[in-house]
Amino acid sequence: MTNTVGVSNGRVLVALIADTFQEARARWLFWGLFALSTLLILLFLFVLKIDLVEGAVSLFGVESTTRMVDIHRFVITSYSWVSVVLYIWGTFLAIFASSGLIPSVLEPGRIALLLSKPVTRPMLLMGRYIGNVLIVGANHAYLICTIWLVIGVKTGIWEGRFLLSIAASLFIFSVLLCVVVFVGVVSESAALSVMVSVAIMLISTILGQRQLVVRLLSSEWSRQLWQALYWVVPKVYDLAAALRQLIVYDREADWFTPVWTSAIFGVAVLSAALYIFKRRDF
Amino acid sequence: MQREDIALMKEQNVRGDVSLEYMATEYALEAESLCKVYRSRWRGREIAAVSNLTLCVPEGVKFGLLGPNGAGKTTFVKMLLSAVIPTSGAAKIFGRDASLAEARRPVGYLPENHRFPTYLSGAGMLDFYGALSGLGRSERNARIPELLKLVGLEGWGDVRIKKYSKGMLQRLGLAQALIHRPRLLILDEPTDGVDPVGRREIRDILNGLTGTGVTVFINSHLLAEVESFCDYVAILHHGTLALQGRISALVMGSGYAITASGLTDAVSVALQERALAAQRNGGGSLEIRVPTLEAANDAIDVIRGGGGLIESVRSESSSLEDVFIKATRQERAA
Repeated sequence: MTNTVGVSNGRVLVALIADTFQEARARWLFWGLFALSTLLILLFLFVLKIDLVEGAVSLFGVESTTRMVDIHRFVITSYSWVSVVLYIWGTFLAIFASSGLIPSVLEPGRIALLLSKPVTRPMLLMGRYIGNVLIVGANHAYLICTIWLVIGVKTGIWEGRFLLSIAASLFIFSVLLCVVVFVGVVSESAALSVMVSVAIMLISTILGQRQLVVRLLSSEWSRQLWQALYWVVPKVYDLAAALRQLIVYDREADWFTPVWTSAIFGVAVLSAALYIFKRRDF
Repeated sequence: MQREDIALMKEQNVRGDVSLEYMATEYALEAESLCKVYRSRWRGREIAAVSNLTLCVPEGVKFGLLGPNGAGKTTFVKMLLSAVIPTSGAAKIFGRDASLAEARRPVGYLPENHRFPTYLSGAGMLDFYGALSGLGRSERNARIPELLKLVGLEGWGDVRIKKYSKGMLQRLGLAQALIHRPRLLILDEPTDGVDPVGRREIRDILNGLTGTGVTVFINSHLLAEVESFCDYVAILHHGTLALQGRISALVMGSGYAITASGLTDAVSVALQERALAAQRNGGGSLEIRVPTLEAANDAIDVIRGGGGLIESVRSESSSLEDVFIKATRQERAA
């Protein structure tokens, strides 16, 4: 019996994830995200030419410099640039593209039918969430792995640490997607989901400057408030800084604190979304 | 039906008073003192959509839930399916707590104003909902062509849903509800917005389920549709149960019409005193309407005792519409 239920739950989860993929496939926003990734890959594949013998780099067929370029440094700079683009803009675009996937499930004539099936409410929401993370993960992996391959083949430099940017970008997207899910469940508004998620990204970046800001703040309570807020919100800025440290300088950074505090934020927000979703009337 | 009514029917069945059709080994649906109160967020105002509703649907019957707009029908159905959480009371599906996901496994549901995912094809949609209903891939692959054929959508399986007409969508919705061979089919306004031909097709598909043991629960405001298809009916009004019973029993029993001639003035007066209505016909005959069988026999005794001739006696039946209007008016008056 338990086994039957387990098989059935697995089947349901796979069906919900596959449905999320199909809905994403029908949305132009996801195709736009994929197209931008492809465009970036094509830039490295065709436009950027690296002459290993002479050490020259040309863009659009025009040599950018006449002096010899340190190819290794150029590769690391490229990695850093792509990682930052993916981490900030990729996450933003992924949130924008994903924001409609939760409210669409909550449309009155659709949710009533889904809820009539022998599926628990948390399973319905988690199927969407996991499907969404997998779609964005697939896009991130496609972008980073292909660029890594292109640069590796062109230069012979294979720096595996660049691939960590997939995990970092996907992690921060997963955390912010919890906010999208929460706002989606509460308000059923895709636009509000984007607004709140982007606001949290921005606030997190500002709060990340705490070393500087805390010194500038005059009162003790405002310093404590700043510190408290810093610990509550996901560490978008700190993770980006740690990623850059690793890629550019190959230095071990403090990953642990930003990851666990952000993960706790994500789990708490997602749990709240599941709790509200479980108790809502449709 | 109330539990007591069902228990009485079972007892009568043991005595051989009622047909086996009444007999239900199990209830497909049970609602006990179900209430739903909506509270407005800011003002704190309360609106009772469903109040203290107790209703049992025996297994294998065709049951119609009627009521004017806003009577609480859809809220009631959604509470059965756990889309709406009851304020108080309990609901059971085949004896299991309706709030459990497993309890909904034997249920096929077609919602009112459904929105099927337009990015899917007809076959894709059936595949998705089949998987959610617990069917394996091989079962789904076998079942989908069967159902598309059943609902007359052969050749449309690979076409995106957004190209479907309203009637086709409704038939596809019905196929979706039937994909896992449910024991209970709940249809919320199944023919709403469908043209007469489409309605007929849907009715034919539903008639095809007769004798399969599937309980069909139809929520509708179309009285003729319910009257022609269902065995039992419950009428909701202002969130409460106004009337329930077997349709044949409800539409009967509105009285008897007796036509008699050769009546003296004294007999005529005596009859008019007993009658709900009296009317002189051509040829000197008098037609009276009496409410009960006892009153009809009493009137016949008066006619025969006065030397009159009985030309005809017939049982008067009313339409479900009459029953509906009467029930909702009485409820309003109460």
